[in-house]
Amino acid sequence: MRKLSAVIVLMFLLSGCKSDERILERLGMVQTSSYDLSEDQRLKVTSSIPVVNPESVSRRELLVVEADSIKEARLQFSRKTELFLVSGQLRNVLFGLNLTKAGLGNYLDTLMRDPSVALGVRVSIVDGDAGALLSKDYKQHADTGQYVDHLLEKEGGRNSIPQITLYEFSRDYNDDGIDPIAPIIKETEDHVVIEGIACFEQDRYRMKIPAADGMIFALLRGSLNQGEVALNLGEDGGRKRIVMFSSLGSQHKLKVIRSENSRFKVKISASIQGSVLEYTGSLRLQNKADRQELEKEISAKLSSEGNQMIRNLQQHHVDSLGIGQYVRNSLSYREWKSTDWNKVYPSVEIEFHPKVIIKDYGKYN
Amino acid sequence: MAEKLTPFHITILVYMTQSGIIIFTLPRQLAEYFGTNGWLFMVPCFVISSLNIYLISLVYHMGKGRSIFLILEQSISKVVLYPLYIGLSSVWLIFGCMIGKKYVLLFQMISFPTTNPMIFKLAIDLLALLLLTKGIYTISKATTVFFWVTIWMYLLLLGFIPNFQWVRLTPFIFKEGHDMVRGGLDIYTAFLGYELSLLYLPYMDHKKKSMRGVYAGNTILSVAYISFAFICFGFFSLGQLKKLLYPLLDLLAFIQLPFVERLENLLYGFFLFLILVTVVMYWWAAAESVQRILPRANISILCSILVGISFVVSYIPTTLDQVNTWIMYLSYAATGIAFGLPLLLVVLLLVQRKRRNSYA
Repeated sequence: MRKLSAVIVLMFLLSGCKSDERILERLGMVQTSSYDLSEDQRLKVTSSIPVVNPESVSRRELLVVEADSIKEARLQFSRKTELFLVSGQLRNVLFGLNLTKAGLGNYLDTLMRDPSVALGVRVSIVDGDAGALLSKDYKQHADTGQYVDHLLEKEGGRNSIPQITLYEFSRDYNDDGIDPIAPIIKETEDHVVIEGIACFEQDRYRMKIPAADGMIFALLRGSLNQGEVALNLGEDGGRKRIVMFSSLGSQHKLKVIRSENSRFKVKISASIQGSVLEYTGSLRLQNKADRQELEKEISAKLSSEGNQMIRNLQQHHVDSLGIGQYVRNSLSYREWKSTDWNKVYPSVEIEFHPKVIIKDYGKYN
Repeated sequence: MAEKLTPFHITILVYMTQSGIIIFTLPRQLAEYFGTNGWLFMVPCFVISSLNIYLISLVYHMGKGRSIFLILEQSISKVVLYPLYIGLSSVWLIFGCMIGKKYVLLFQMISFPTTNPMIFKLAIDLLALLLLTKGIYTISKATTVFFWVTIWMYLLLLGFIPNFQWVRLTPFIFKEGHDMVRGGLDIYTAFLGYELSLLYLPYMDHKKKSMRGVYAGNTILSVAYISFAFICFGFFSLGQLKKLLYPLLDLLAFIQLPFVERLENLLYGFFLFLILVTVVMYWWAAAESVQRILPRANISILCSILVGISFVVSYIPTTLDQVNTWIMYLSYAATGIAFGLPLLLVVLLLVQRKRRNSYA
């Protein structure tokens, strides 16, 4: 009797979830979505869904619509496919440059609100049309969405570009002392290339840091435990002097000093250690004095490039390094609130002081 | 010799009763009401709850471990007491029921958006009823198992340390908040649950330092809550934290292991154990009070009726907002009980002692 009643109760309870039943084969798990502003100021949404059917020739299904909002686009997608679309496996969202210039705030809001979208979804900007980049098939790669995802993951791990997910983007967007950033990619004939780092003022795109300077940006922004950078130290007897500084680790410190006329002075210091794997100049690395000379030269080069980058960021009113956070923390609450940081920021005196130590120089004299 | 609750079991029972549904929203509430470094507010909460437990321990020592019902009935007429018992049991019964309903609605939001929530509620209520009818000793043993099943989740906090930055904590204390008094009351309810230890008194082992178990349970909870809130304030920015309705769900969804991600549906299931114990203990307290009015009632039937009533009541609020409002008012009442009841008991015990002395 007891067993029977248990079975009846179970049957009753389990039947309850029928309306939320999900059959894997009938699900369309959106993996990458891109958003662009179309010519008539509407939202162009492109979504890439991996196809699991082994009989299908195509490895992915692409859906493109124009709509007024992200969720409206989803309704339109639904009318186009036999699959039940879900966003729980969304890994990557790409925003076209036009859209980022108009501001991402609303789209961020929609993505953050959806309980099925996790904070770990990668956010990237496309220089050009994001939908076109996602729609294109690249010969060597079966699935463009996955290709972009892996590319960003690998490069982000090496610190040449920042790893930006919804978590980081919305965190910095909602903080009053830092502006958000995101990697920026571009479509070329047969590849997707990392262009650099997109810097935002609030939710609007303002400027780009080229990929070659990504490492310097990373050094300015925080401590690192891996990365590599190639520096051009000028010419020596008609020969280019290139140094490749690798396996570098860096300790980052930021100090805010207030001068008498209550202007701010910020000192960013970075203590950098790494190996030299390539050097094409005339200094002899096995010689201690020469090595110290090279350390100084690298420091000076990093310093001048870093300082130039800081000026550039200040001119564009983007506090991508989060200087505001440190200034805020050096003030009393009342002082911070009476400071219009956006106005003050461009005139703050910011200096970068890197100190380079060559750990080793390879296995060849 | 009758079975007794050991201090270890009391510790776990108190901790598990206290940790409940509020953990899903706690960091956001702290950020919203108290602003910068809101997590610090948990420290005075811990002190106040410890003082409240001190009051309970006074009742325990002065009453020599007698049941609170015996103490009450010795001095107050049953005509007055019965409405009080009904009041106590109503608050506890519906409070437990609304906590269960909120868990169900959250679960529904993330996993089963169109399923009727009352089906899940029924499943949880049946589970709770099965546990409830077994009595406090079995509940405490089951709770110990649930404790080990869930406590490891605090280790997941370590995974958020790489993204933790001191600079986000800011040096400001309690700036950019609002309605701190109301917020304080709301947040204090996170600690509720220890007050039910008033009802454990007759089940405690008087030879052992049982009250220390209650303090220990409250301390474990405080340490867990404070570390959780602290990590949240350095992991999220303040503005972001204010916008995340359920920061815990976002944290769980952020966890990525090399072989699997989006674990939150799985992890969310573990919270059922925490909620289940909270619900069962509040219902147990309600049943204890009702039993005082109907001493001859069959305990299984009584519990079934109570759970049935609460199931019907849980039909009334249908949205998360409505449930939150119910929980808010009921938790104010439960906070009132947590302070008022032991105070009343201490006064009665003082009167009783004085009377005894004057007779002697």
